Amino acid sequence: MVRPKQSSEAGPKQNGGLFSVLGPYAGIVTVLIIMALAGSAINLFIPKIIARGIDAFSANSFRAGTVIIEFLIAAAGIFVFTFFQGVLQTLTAERVAKDLRNKMAEKLSHQTYSFILNSNPSKLLTNMTSDMDSVKMFVAQAFVTIISSLFVIIGASVLLIMINWKLALAVLVIVPVLTTAFIIVFRKVKVIFKKSREVIDALNRIINESILGAALIRVLNSQQPENQKFLEKNMESRDLGLTIVRLFSVLVPIIMFVSNAAVVIILALGGHYVVAGSLTLGNFAAFNSYLVMLIFPVMMIGFMSNIIAAATASYGRIRQVLDAPPPAERGTVSSGIRGDISVKNISLSYEKKPVLKDVSFSVRAGSNCAIIGPTAAGKSLLLSLIANIITPDSGGIEFDGIPIENYSVQSMHKQTGYVFQDSVIFNLSLRENIAFSDNVTEESLRKAIETAELTDFIESLPERLDTVVAERGTSLSGGQKQRIMLARALAINPKILLLDDFTSRVDRKTENKILCNIRNNYPEMTLVSVTQKIAPVRHFEQIILLMEGEIIATGKHKDLLESSPEYIQIYSSQKSTHHYEL
Amino acid sequence: MNYNLNQASERTAGKLPVIASLRKLIGIISGERRNVTIAFAAIFVNAGLNLLGPYLVGYTIDNYIQTKNYPGVLHFAGILLAMYITAFIFNYAQMRMMGGIGQRMLFTLRNSVFSKLQELPLDFFNQNKAGDLISRINNDTDKVNQFFSQSLMQFIGSLIMMTGAGIILLVINLPLGLAALSPALILWILTKSISPWLRKKNEASLKSLGSLSAEVQESLANFKVVIAFDRRDYFRRRFAEVNGENYKRSVQAGIANNILSPVYTFASNIGQLIVLALGIWLIIRGNFTVGLLISFIAYISNFYNPLRQIAALWANFQLALAAWDRISYLLSFENNLSLVNDPGKGKSQSFIHFGDVSFSYPNGAEVLHKVSFNLQRGRTYAFVGPTGGGKTTTASLTARLYDSTKGSILLDGRDIRSYTPCERASKIGFILQEPLLFSGTVRDNILYGNPECASLTNHQLEKALEDSHLAALLNRFDRGLETPVQASGEGISLGQKQIIAFMRAILRKPELLILDEATANIDTVTEQQLEAILNNLPESTTKVIIAHRLNTIENADEIFFVNAGKIIAAGSFREALDLLMHSRVES
Repeated sequence: MVRPKQSSEAGPKQNGGLFSVLGPYAGIVTVLIIMALAGSAINLFIPKIIARGIDAFSANSFRAGTVIIEFLIAAAGIFVFTFFQGVLQTLTAERVAKDLRNKMAEKLSHQTYSFILNSNPSKLLTNMTSDMDSVKMFVAQAFVTIISSLFVIIGASVLLIMINWKLALAVLVIVPVLTTAFIIVFRKVKVIFKKSREVIDALNRIINESILGAALIRVLNSQQPENQKFLEKNMESRDLGLTIVRLFSVLVPIIMFVSNAAVVIILALGGHYVVAGSLTLGNFAAFNSYLVMLIFPVMMIGFMSNIIAAATASYGRIRQVLDAPPPAERGTVSSGIRGDISVKNISLSYEKKPVLKDVSFSVRAGSNCAIIGPTAAGKSLLLSLIANIITPDSGGIEFDGIPIENYSVQSMHKQTGYVFQDSVIFNLSLRENIAFSDNVTEESLRKAIETAELTDFIESLPERLDTVVAERGTSLSGGQKQRIMLARALAINPKILLLDDFTSRVDRKTENKILCNIRNNYPEMTLVSVTQKIAPVRHFEQIILLMEGEIIATGKHKDLLESSPEYIQIYSSQKSTHHYEL
Repeated sequence: MNYNLNQASERTAGKLPVIASLRKLIGIISGERRNVTIAFAAIFVNAGLNLLGPYLVGYTIDNYIQTKNYPGVLHFAGILLAMYITAFIFNYAQMRMMGGIGQRMLFTLRNSVFSKLQELPLDFFNQNKAGDLISRINNDTDKVNQFFSQSLMQFIGSLIMMTGAGIILLVINLPLGLAALSPALILWILTKSISPWLRKKNEASLKSLGSLSAEVQESLANFKVVIAFDRRDYFRRRFAEVNGENYKRSVQAGIANNILSPVYTFASNIGQLIVLALGIWLIIRGNFTVGLLISFIAYISNFYNPLRQIAALWANFQLALAAWDRISYLLSFENNLSLVNDPGKGKSQSFIHFGDVSFSYPNGAEVLHKVSFNLQRGRTYAFVGPTGGGKTTTASLTARLYDSTKGSILLDGRDIRSYTPCERASKIGFILQEPLLFSGTVRDNILYGNPECASLTNHQLEKALEDSHLAALLNRFDRGLETPVQASGEGISLGQKQIIAFMRAILRKPELLILDEATANIDTVTEQQLEAILNNLPESTTKVIIAHRLNTIENADEIFFVNAGKIIAAGSFREALDLLMHSRVES
């Protein structure tokens, strides 16, 4: 667990982690530091030039030409260095973010489905956006600013001491005073910042759900309670914000006052030295200028320490994703399969609740198998297991007698077509949505579309297959979406087809046509279909009745009618419409 | 109405002048006039006192240090200290007031964005991608948030400090002041001329971040498809693409944002140089003093340092304005479902009446064409037909999720558009095709949108469920009412979600109940249970069942075939079957 650093002892190790971000960019970072230091160094010289000018004038040896030239060179130098520093900072920060993001995407793309679910997609999105922003902020600002601020503080202090060490020490008292004020306030602010981040997350969650549930909210006219929910969290956020304001309202005036007090010290003590003749008027003016220079970096370090703390926490979260162990090594068997499936003693728990209990069955290649059972019996999970999207707690699955772990991932998924229960349509053209896998030929695409009875629908679209279907488009009905999903699964010419409640949103006539098409066009395919309805699967070679994670009965329709009372109950619940078979 | 936010932002990009956006933004805090006044008064006093400092220092140098009058120096040091203590108090007041105003402004802004979201019709959500919408609202309010909670106080303080220093420079010595400020004029022109460009770059960068988020959201939320079709490479490639695009845009915006800062530093240095050279020349001519020169140099810092800070914050400010533009565009949308006045006497005896209703989605083909039908109170109707025929659209029009393009829809003899949303919602229960849960418990979800039952204890609620014959359904959840559920939960099956949606609708006791494929993923045994519950609803409840499974519509009094934008009354179940069996109505 990464927590924002609370004390300097806890710091080094975590910071080491954060600073390691810069490792691969050592070259550009070095140039960046040199630019920043060069700019700051020249900056330190400017008051010196002014002081010399004033003193030379007092001593009647003023040469306008030299002063102006020196000054112009210094100003031009600062300009060039700060300009390139800015460009380099942006480039480095964005490069770091881009590379880190790509690394994350690479990592995620190799992970298992359960990893993605457990890490929560919306949290991963935050890692890629907000967390990345705060790492970017560290690279672009915090890191260089701290180095150049330290440089300026030390440089200005040295110069002050060289001018007049007694006065310098009196003025430099402000540095520890300011530092202490910063540490005290920031320690309090950090806690509140964390809380306020949580509240903002909650606010965002309410916004998200209200967008996803827009239709439901409008049907129920529950906008008012939604507003109320939001208002409560928003008030919380405002109150936390006000607490932060209160803390800063103390800090900022203290900074101002302390630096003003230093002006008074310079006037009183410095004035004394000038009167006594041990300080020139020019150096007196320089003291004032250096004071201004000192305060800014002290403030900067304070602010930047905050950015570093935030970035450390963010980077910790990013690392969690990057350092997650890769999924278990997969086998290398890549031969084509016939399609024999055997499920052996599979058990699976979800949040400590067993959802599948010691399930075993087998399906012969090229045969049809239906899985029926009540809601939440574990039917969909069983399909996900066969598709190797999730792995069982115990037990195993074999294709053609070889455990599926032994197959290479590619060959596994190339030979299994899976039609999910919920429709997932990407914001792509229909062609890309259906030919979602790489190795889909025009021929298999056409066959899949025909089999899913989509030909007429696609012909009716203005741009046919190249029509882009929106994520939540109004253009597609539930049944159309489901048929697109089927076409997507068929397009890869699978040896095994898994249908999850495919017919729930397709009308009876189309369903019959589609099932008939599948048999005719893909005669050798093994079909496993999760369904609610017995009628369309009556002639299947095998029907499995699953209840509460256990297989209650298995066999042909005819056998089950004689042997399983549960099956009979389900059958009779549908029977009344049977003689109306269309 | 066009609700597409992306088309909109392209249209307005960089066009809205700063002042106009600001004015709109300030409109939000019109209620805080008194606080703003006090805050500004404090800012002025504080800035004034701080600005008086260098002048007093210069005066002391000329009149006491150079004349070697040390008691006089101490005297003025004392005055200075007293002044700074006063400034401390006003500074505190200024921070408190401004900070508070900023936070409250943000609060109001967030509230108005959210209530606007609630106010807009479903059309809006259909025309914008959910992922994009979410990222947009979260990011944009966050950008505005950052500006308000972090930069606003500094921004205003700097602005006033700068103005004050400028005025003092001009008052002390007009020619020298003008010369010292001349680089600032050039800066002003420069800044003004590149601002629109800056904004455009920032807009583009925000937009590319939006598409990056949308990409991640879409791929990760549907990761099982990515895995099942072995498209991990595809995900990487798509991501690398949007990431590369985002990199390009962000670098451009970043460099644009960084351009001003060195220029400002340069101008500040040139200002100092002018003061030094010109000041010494003036002193030689006897028009100026060394003390005033030292004050002048201090004022130059007081002028250019805030200016530099403003420049540094300027990018933030631009970013906030860009975000604010996008938000205010959203706020400018109006709900196109307005209330109409209709006393509605005797227009129709039916409970629901569709008269020549046509409907098409924006930029889409016609979904319903001149549809007419009547539904009587207390009867059960079924809408059947092939997918994509217009069943869901018909139901959505009945619940007024959209308004018809042509024709009239009457509810209880009155134009449906004359009902307030509250009246309408209490009459109509609509179980949507895609069940949706909110994060919380089963109880929270059953009671969602049901204020009457919200305060019931679990025990009372169970009793209420019992009365509606719903209690048995609770057994489907292992911890009953208190079973936790997630909006994007995989721990709960689609069928369970549909059961919750069903309970939610029944418990509200609507006069019209629409079930849109509401039981499609529920097993047939449970479905019979639901049917029994439906049969036990009060006599007067009108039921509309959308289905393609015949067993669910067997008991319907009348069946409508919905196909290709037309609705045909087909009589009772038997009659409809005969019609189907014999004349083979082609779909």
